[in-house]
Amino acid sequence: MLTQKEFFEKAGAGELQAVRCSRCGALAIPPRAFCPECSERAWQPAPLSGDGTITSYTVIRVAPRGFAGEVPYAIAAVHMKEGVSLLGRVVDIPFDKLKVGLAVRFRPLTRNGQTAVGFGPR
Amino acid sequence: MRRVAVIGVGVTKFGRHDRTSAELFAEAAADALADAGLPATAVQALYYGNVVGSETEKQLHTSPQAASVLGLPAVPTTRFETACASSHAAFRHAVMEVGSGVSDVVLVGGAERVLNVTTEESTEYFAYASDARWEQTLGLTFPGVFALVARAHMTKHGTTEAQMAAVAVKNHKHGTLNPKAQFQKEITIEQVLKSAMVADPLKLYDCCPFTDGGAAVVIASEEVAKAAARRPIWVLASAAASDWMLIGDKRDLSRVPATERAAAAAYRQAGLGPQDVNVVELHDCFTIAEIVATEGLGLFEAGTGGVAAEKGWTSLGGKIPVNPSGGLKAKGHPIGATGAAQIAEVVTQLRHDAGPRQVDGARVGLTHTLGGNTATVLVSLFGRD
Repeated sequence: MLTQKEFFEKAGAGELQAVRCSRCGALAIPPRAFCPECSERAWQPAPLSGDGTITSYTVIRVAPRGFAGEVPYAIAAVHMKEGVSLLGRVVDIPFDKLKVGLAVRFRPLTRNGQTAVGFGPR
Repeated sequence: MRRVAVIGVGVTKFGRHDRTSAELFAEAAADALADAGLPATAVQALYYGNVVGSETEKQLHTSPQAASVLGLPAVPTTRFETACASSHAAFRHAVMEVGSGVSDVVLVGGAERVLNVTTEESTEYFAYASDARWEQTLGLTFPGVFALVARAHMTKHGTTEAQMAAVAVKNHKHGTLNPKAQFQKEITIEQVLKSAMVADPLKLYDCCPFTDGGAAVVIASEEVAKAAARRPIWVLASAAASDWMLIGDKRDLSRVPATERAAAAAYRQAGLGPQDVNVVELHDCFTIAEIVATEGLGLFEAGTGGVAAEKGWTSLGGKIPVNPSGGLKAKGHPIGATGAAQIAEVVTQLRHDAGPRQVDGARVGLTHTLGGNTATVLVSLFGRD
């Protein structure tokens, strides 16, 4: 079972790792104990390509403490090619080019020594 | 389950206070007990909602603290934390305690204090209700969560920023009729649309304020309720539902599945449907949240909540008045108190005691409270004989 720590270590190296249920084939990211489709506990690693499209987005202008120096910044929900979705920061795409359906690619971001999910242009 | 009624309600003025959340709760609770015509000694348990007390007041163990400040140190207490739905979750469990026969009189409520810290700090603390590793690290905020919902709803259904603004205008108008509301001034569509952007497409006037306040209700068994000072308002249903915690796991951001599930369960418990509801207090933490909730509760078809707001169908005097209290938007949103405050408003409406904001002839009311990132929703139904 892939732990959260292991997920982010792999993500930091550029590899986006999901898990696939070896009973019903359902894909999940992040991993969870039981398959939400069939309740089995038989996950196999399933690397993702990193390619996806934006399903919703926003530009944060009022930030939590600790992020105030970074505003404005964009966050998007991205539907990955393989069928799962992830939330991430959008980088290197002008705000006025953001739109639902825009193709993006996973890009690991480092903030305060931690890896976070990011997306940039395809 | 035995029948359960609400027999007393109390709400503080919402806004800025120089009192602790426990003090705010004690004021609301004393008012609720006076309203019920019961002595404090009648209370057999306290179910309490408080969310960010550990941050803004450096206070854990808030439920016995609240009971102590109220002067009831010996009753069993439990604190509930399901983000903004906390005191509605407390209410549902209290109803089960009375309904099951464990207790005859239970006090339910909540309180929150946040205006003693900066907006940056409270924005951070509210964001703790999103996942720490996957979402907080991105700088996601609560306006940000509902901005994602808004963009998805606009894309799927053509909902407009002006329709969202209509919700704010309506709730501010209702707020002018509620002396307890934080904001008591009308605003215009243009003011909403020109207000500062918080998280595109949500602007300042699409967002509810930070608020200090407390709210309490007294619930009782049928036997106690029938002898009570005030007309009992019966709890017809109280249901909860959840959804995935992570935004990435929510497959259609234009919907709130937890609202749909909780509403279905509540309607089933009560043997009622959305067409039977006369007055609604729902969770308008952001204008889009009201639009999506009116759809999820079955009051309007999916995708038409914005049109309903724009046409005035949810205003006092409209087809189905929503948030006659002013809602979270104008009444204010002291997060731990909000669920109980919504129940207090619906009880007041069903007693026909709401003065200038009364929904004429209301017999069935609904409250809907959403927790945080749409992962928790509570729906309760109330009726008068």
